[in-house]
Amino acid sequence: MRTIFLIAIDSIRALLHQRLLLGLMLASLALTIFFSIIMSKERTVITESFSDDTMTNNSVMGTNQMSAVDRRNFQDKMESASTTFQAMFYQVASFGGSIVALFIFSTAVASEIRKGTIRLTLSKPVSRTQFLLGKYLGGVVVMAAFALLTWFAILIFAQNLELSPVIKWAPWLMFCRQLMLGSLAMLLSLFMHPIIASVLAFVAGNGFYSLHNPLYYILPSYKDFNVFFQVLEGTLLNLKDVAFLSLYAADFVVIMLLLALWRFRTKELV
Amino acid sequence: MTAIRTENLSKTYGAGRNGTETAAVRALNLEVREGEIFGFLGPNGAGKTSTIHLLLNLIRPTSGTAYLFDRPVTETAVHRRLGYLPESVNLHDYYRGRALLDFYAALCGVPANSRSARVTELLKLLHLEDAAEKRVSKYSKGMAQRIGFAQAMLHDPDLLILDEPTASLDPVGRKEFRDILLELKRRGKTVFISSHILSEVKTVCDRVAILQNGELKRTGTLQELSANKKTKLVVKGLPAPVMEALAITAAEVTLVQGLATISCPDEELRQTVEQLLRQHGVEIVRTETGTQSLEEIFFATITPPPKL
Repeated sequence: MRTIFLIAIDSIRALLHQRLLLGLMLASLALTIFFSIIMSKERTVITESFSDDTMTNNSVMGTNQMSAVDRRNFQDKMESASTTFQAMFYQVASFGGSIVALFIFSTAVASEIRKGTIRLTLSKPVSRTQFLLGKYLGGVVVMAAFALLTWFAILIFAQNLELSPVIKWAPWLMFCRQLMLGSLAMLLSLFMHPIIASVLAFVAGNGFYSLHNPLYYILPSYKDFNVFFQVLEGTLLNLKDVAFLSLYAADFVVIMLLLALWRFRTKELV
Repeated sequence: MTAIRTENLSKTYGAGRNGTETAAVRALNLEVREGEIFGFLGPNGAGKTSTIHLLLNLIRPTSGTAYLFDRPVTETAVHRRLGYLPESVNLHDYYRGRALLDFYAALCGVPANSRSARVTELLKLLHLEDAAEKRVSKYSKGMAQRIGFAQAMLHDPDLLILDEPTASLDPVGRKEFRDILLELKRRGKTVFISSHILSEVKTVCDRVAILQNGELKRTGTLQELSANKKTKLVVKGLPAPVMEALAITAAEVTLVQGLATISCPDEELRQTVEQLLRQHGVEIVRTETGTQSLEEIFFATITPPPKL
């Protein structure tokens, strides 16, 4: 276990020195903050424009109070705008995180093989299993830190917003999705170039198999981890759903890592 | 116990675009004893680095097996007794010198309380104290080679596998490196060196192996390898019948200032000539045994590549 941690720490160190990755993370975070601000601003604009309209109507009608119809209109307008922006925001944050995850996990082992640094590491008493698990763990820690940072940014910049109840599960589900993507990308990167592995990993899990489709249990599926649809459709997620999805993700990651270990054990490392 | 042992070890790389397979190592049977410095020689593409990669379990053999200290190379635990310096030292360039060695020392299981002292000791030994806090990406080739050597020795391993260890070192660095190797040998360590620099191998190695096209051509001590040594018998004057008798053999005769030198290319001829000289009462002034240099042995062993 100690060796796995040492490799993980080294992996984190390596990731934090990659300018491209840091650039991707910053860009993703900047987009998240940008959308949070836009969401807050839009809410203010709608509120103000609606107040102006109501004031005009009221002054014509000689009343000071918002009618029940106006209130309903206002609420509908607010809900619709909020839902659209939250769904869009989720998509942006999720896509950014996915790109970061794909970059981290598809290059974790592949870049060590390409640069030849793996030869020195594996000449030490480090097994291939420890090496691969350490690399994955390092990626998980960086992704967790990134997910937390993204969530703090949302809390800070979208604090005036009434968020959909589904959104509260979004960071966790997003994180699960990224780990699934990452494990698949890591496995594929042991067979092919990391860029192709990343594209395939991204495409492979975006088939829209629902929970009731048998393919859901055979092929990777990220669909239910994307709260975009729940936000748009206004459906709710309960704790049971989230627990099931978490188990599905854990199961998926374990299978992908086992396959990656099987491949890595026999892989030529020069 | 042997430090390294291979049994019919073979490695063939799969068919490339042109559909041909390449045999990098062919049925290699090698034994490196504990406590010796073993030179592994061969021209480019002979299969030296592939053999080292097989010993380190970085690539899988097509057939045969390899052992380190009588344990299969696939056992990770055996790496506790192993230090390795690759031909081109690729380091994690986000570390500074000391931190890099500290990381490798931790991986090797060097206890935390003695790690810093060990790292300092090696930095000093390899004259890297001033570069200890410098990022390794800024290191010159020679410095990278030195820190590569340091990481191989961190846990004081029983076996060092060095692939072209002095390729990037200047003459002073090479001399220091040789001194370190001799000190390691004195302490009973085993060193396996793959090198092109024959003079260096000759100076430090107890035994050598010569590899060509993945095949082990010869192995042994320098004396054993130059078993086909020439012998020169120096005599005072040669009677005509002896001269006539020698003329029909492969012996070469040169006359300089009243002394005759008879060169015998092999042991059998030497004995025949000595008998002949005794029969004719010719006194042998001295016998010169000329051993072949490692370079001569090397070139006599390998088949020259076809001329273009």
